[in-house]
Amino acid sequence: MQQNGQQLYEELGELARFVEKAMRTISEISAPIVSGSAGLPMASSHLVDLNKMTEEGTLEVMRLTETIQDNRGRVVKELAAVAETLKTVDCTTLSMRVQSIAADLAHDDKYLTEIMTALSFQDLVAQRVKKLVAILDDVRDKLVELVVVFGIPHDADGIAATGKTGEMLKQLEESKTTSMKQNVADDILAQYGFK
Amino acid sequence: MPADPNMKILVVDDMATMRRIVKNILKQLGFANVEEAENGQEGLQKLRADTFGFVVSDWNMPVMTGIDMLRAIRADDKLKTIPVLMVTAEAQQANLVEAIQAGVSNYIVKPFTAETMQEKLGKIFK
Repeated sequence: MQQNGQQLYEELGELARFVEKAMRTISEISAPIVSGSAGLPMASSHLVDLNKMTEEGTLEVMRLTETIQDNRGRVVKELAAVAETLKTVDCTTLSMRVQSIAADLAHDDKYLTEIMTALSFQDLVAQRVKKLVAILDDVRDKLVELVVVFGIPHDADGIAATGKTGEMLKQLEESKTTSMKQNVADDILAQYGFK
Repeated sequence: MPADPNMKILVVDDMATMRRIVKNILKQLGFANVEEAENGQEGLQKLRADTFGFVVSDWNMPVMTGIDMLRAIRADDKLKTIPVLMVTAEAQQANLVEAIQAGVSNYIVKPFTAETMQEKLGKIFK
């Protein structure tokens, strides 16, 4: 009976040491956990911005490509009409040359369509970014759960990401507001004598 | 039956860029009567409100996915004969099988070319 008591006492002691060590480890990693969790929403927000930026850029390239397609379409029609007129006035050679130019222009339509289809990269990128955002949100939820379960002290509003993550997020955040517009740059250049 | 160049085509995709690409290719192929929807639910509403001859749809979309819309089309007496072409990044064999079982008319994997779209249209409207 006494031996059993001794054994139980030793096992409880070992368990207490294990718990204490675990608590110390959690305490050491609590700051990075809280900090990392604080930076994740901002990282998600930047990824969403990235999607918007690629979409806007892609739509602009599409708009310009479609304008070129439409202009070329009109020119090809006009050239066909000119070729037909030349044929009726017996300028066969000239008519054939005009037809040849129209054919060359029409041939380029294939490349313009290829530019359009190549832009589908944006859709594939956007889908992957959306998945990354979902993963980041999930990781954040789990970190928050960890913080709550282990009672790690934190200030949800006041906490900010630290270390390399914090620095990179700070740079990304600053780039939103401090990026200079060309007209501002031109004004400054003009003040220094650049014409 | 060959495709009628005047038929109304519905392009369903949540990404504006993809809708524009598909619309552009269809225009190059001679189909200028194209309408757009941002998800399956909006697509179904448009299909029920008008007469369309062909549907090009994405798979992954919010509100209602392309595969759910396809099932709804096939379950609707008025819409069930409309050919549906799926254009999707879901390139797993299981996805393709699921789409076939749901009654897809053909399937294009992103990224794709205008030639692929033309070939699929040729097969659907032969």
